Amino acid sequence: MKDQLVILRNYFLDLGLEVFLRADLACSKREELLKLLRRFRSAFDIISVKCTNHNIALVAARDRRVDVIFFDYAKRNVWFDHSIANVSDATLELNTSTLVAASDYLALTKLMKDVYTAQQHKVDTIISSGCTSPFLVKTPTQMSAIGMILGLSKGEALNSVSVVPSRIVGKNVERRSRNYIEEGVKVVTRTD
Amino acid sequence: MGRRYLLIKVCSTTAVTGEQFTQALTASILKYFGEVGLSRINPKLIRFDSDGSKAVVAYAKDHAGEMQTALALIFRIGDSEGSTLPLKASGTIKGLGKRS
Repeated sequence: MKDQLVILRNYFLDLGLEVFLRADLACSKREELLKLLRRFRSAFDIISVKCTNHNIALVAARDRRVDVIFFDYAKRNVWFDHSIANVSDATLELNTSTLVAASDYLALTKLMKDVYTAQQHKVDTIISSGCTSPFLVKTPTQMSAIGMILGLSKGEALNSVSVVPSRIVGKNVERRSRNYIEEGVKVVTRTD
Repeated sequence: MGRRYLLIKVCSTTAVTGEQFTQALTASILKYFGEVGLSRINPKLIRFDSDGSKAVVAYAKDHAGEMQTALALIFRIGDSEGSTLPLKASGTIKGLGKRS
């Protein structure tokens, strides 16, 4: 798989696009999630976890290896509640594509509640298209406009499509570089 | 109440008519902002070019954010999948310039 990823990365680099790889992890057991994190953390720039139940959400929110958590809004038994927000190191992702699938107002209500909880606990949010079709791709301005109806202020909405994602990527690129030792410690110069 | 004009690229798997686009936009505004929102935004299709799939829509100046959101939340136009892409906003139709 690593070879294929290198080929893919080089293909986009040739076109002048910088590529960051992301893995979405979805599992139902804590042990399974930890195993997947051990396996994929070093290979991907961004690790996100789909929270399928409350336990997984808690583990993912606490774990420093997880960058982004997101929820399945079709599931009624799990949402971004205060207990998760309180311990969350990860960023909450809001997928605008959930609004497409939703036939009623409940998905919108859930997204708005999640935004409110995230604001109360000062958890960063990112807005993504979560697209499965080219028609669901939205411009950053459009996504920030959707963020504003979910309850984000104009500044927060703009940050959630610009500053916050680039901070996550920047942090992980630094972490994965050979000069990184640990949090706050890095190699400045090397002498042979 | 001032008006602004928005040049929009309409993307769809099938050919779209002005009427279908207006219906999709109105439905999106009604769904997310209600009838009060619709009357405040007051969108009006000025021009629709079905060949180039471009539309010019007028809306209330104070509700530009709502208009952008409603456009972003259009996922179906007519019977097929579709989306919109705002290209340029201006205070006058002439200001939209060559792109229209």
